[in-house]
Amino acid sequence: MTLPVLICDDSLLARKQVRKSLPEFFDADILTAGNGVEALAILRSQEIGLVFLDLTMPELDGIGVLEAIKQEGMDCFVIVISADIQPEMQKRVTELGALAFIHKPVNPEKLVVILKQYGLI
Amino acid sequence: MSDNWLTGPVLEQLNSGVLVVDEQFQLVYLNCFLQRHGSVQLDEVRGQSLFKVFSDVPEAWLRRKFASVLELQSPSFSSWEQRHYVIKLPHMRPMTSSSQYMAQNCTMLPLSDEAGRRYVCLLIEDATDTFVYQQHLQSTLQKLEHSNRIDGLTQCLNRRYWEEQLKLEVQRALRYQQPLSLLLFDLDKFKQLNDQYGHLGGDSVLIELSARVRALLRDTDWFGRYGGEEFGIVLTNTALQGAVEVAERLCLAVSSLAVTFNECSIQSSISIGVAQLTNTGERAHEVLIGQADVALYNAKRNGRNRVVAFSPGETEFLLKTTD
Amino acid sequence: MSKVFSEEQRDCLQELINVAMGLASDKLARFLNTFVHLQVPAIELVSSAQIPAEFETRYSSTDSALVSQGFLGNDGLRGEAIVLYQLENAHRIAALLGYETDSISELEMLTDISSILTTTFLNGLATQIDNSLSYSAPRVLSSRQGNVAQALLETAYHWELALKVDISYQLIDHSFNCDMLLLIPGEAVVNIQQILTRILEEY
Repeated sequence: MTLPVLICDDSLLARKQVRKSLPEFFDADILTAGNGVEALAILRSQEIGLVFLDLTMPELDGIGVLEAIKQEGMDCFVIVISADIQPEMQKRVTELGALAFIHKPVNPEKLVVILKQYGLI
Repeated sequence: MSDNWLTGPVLEQLNSGVLVVDEQFQLVYLNCFLQRHGSVQLDEVRGQSLFKVFSDVPEAWLRRKFASVLELQSPSFSSWEQRHYVIKLPHMRPMTSSSQYMAQNCTMLPLSDEAGRRYVCLLIEDATDTFVYQQHLQSTLQKLEHSNRIDGLTQCLNRRYWEEQLKLEVQRALRYQQPLSLLLFDLDKFKQLNDQYGHLGGDSVLIELSARVRALLRDTDWFGRYGGEEFGIVLTNTALQGAVEVAERLCLAVSSLAVTFNECSIQSSISIGVAQLTNTGERAHEVLIGQADVALYNAKRNGRNRVVAFSPGETEFLLKTTD
Repeated sequence: MSKVFSEEQRDCLQELINVAMGLASDKLARFLNTFVHLQVPAIELVSSAQIPAEFETRYSSTDSALVSQGFLGNDGLRGEAIVLYQLENAHRIAALLGYETDSISELEMLTDISSILTTTFLNGLATQIDNSLSYSAPRVLSSRQGNVAQALLETAYHWELALKVDISYQLIDHSFNCDMLLLIPGEAVVNIQQILTRILEEY
């Protein structure tokens, strides 16, 4: 079954890095967003199973997206991918319902472990 | 550590010190340079604490440096300009340097072995040459600065530097509302002296009178040569009355004793104009010079070898021309 | 090749720098045993001739310091990192680093702090592009009354392009702001562009 996946990061490079880190056998239909506002527009208009979410972005940041997802009760998994790897930040996004926290630069092996852990692959 | 045919000999021949310690600051390696300069044998000190082997290294400082190298896995540096040496070692040019110990530029680098154990490598470069050059440069600059300030003949301050000091003292006096006075004096009949005894004779009078005047001044006064035979003295924290008393002592000191030159006895005297700072503003120091100059002119006109204090009323016409 | 970065290259560089900052902050946080809140560093490419005016206003009124450190890596990556900060700030971070300010010269403190900021950040950058850097000893170009603009002008003269990185570290109860300038000579700019192109092609 193809999983609809959204990669949200303001950096093109970062979006490409996430896409490339996904295992080849991972059957996903990938959409991208350059900021939080774009991401929410996509999330509200269609079913998305998994979101890779950056935290620091223009317009609306990752925290804002997490809050909206929680508030609007959207049914999707969120994996935060951030350069800010302070434990305090990890705690905060977990409280807001994020499934996992991965620090940049993305390590493909770690990503696979997490995807397996939650039965996504 | 040094068994490789290439790196081994190079490390041993290197004209810099190489020292490696583990995370407990125990010595793992010392190259030849350090063994010789430090009079230690690697075989005897391997495994011992760095602080025990080199007991005078700044321990707290070095611990902090090494901690940052290990934790941040990034290098740290120390320059001889801030810390002359990290490990006290003799240097190789003891005759030509003013320091007994090697000036050192140090680099501290993070290292790891195959097993992942972490070490810190301390590289010590001999910077004694740079230190020596820097010292020569400093002393040359000092001499240059001195000669930039001093009048060669009389050893008084030269006019440019003296005027700068006058300006600063005037600003200071105005800010702290302290009195300040200025003496301008002139060697009487200097031209005649030169004609009669030659320029060397005139010069010897200038030298002698400068010395006598200087002996009567305080450390806080500024004594400068204003022109050929004209001199200025800035008397800090001194009001007009006190300045006149100083001026009278100076007059007497010059006129009471003849100067001996080539077995000739040369009688000389000076005329002094005195003024106290009253004006404020940007040009206060120029006005003060003008006022002392007017008083000096009057001292000359009234018969020389005397002190005249500036009084505003009678000389207004002259002031205007100096403003 | 043009000395101007394409939009893609710029994006790539910004992302590399964001991640480098994250890595540096994490290291600093562990080392200082406090939380470091990092703001995304604003990066800007400026020609070296523009630099002094940019900093004159910010650093001329207060006691400030300017410390330079050269870096050299593989693939022709080289340049000079300049850290600018206000001395008042420096004393705050010095206290955190455990310096007793009376037992150490101010110059030594300045070079130490700059070196820590520069090397942790640039090491983070180098790791991401499979490079490694070596560094020259840090040198104080100007401090206190020294004319910052003049010192920068003299340094920047030899460089073509400068990557201006505004860095702001906020530690619990302390904030520390500084500017970092990466001055990069012409041919190294081309080399960096090649590195960026290679990364972009990989993805």
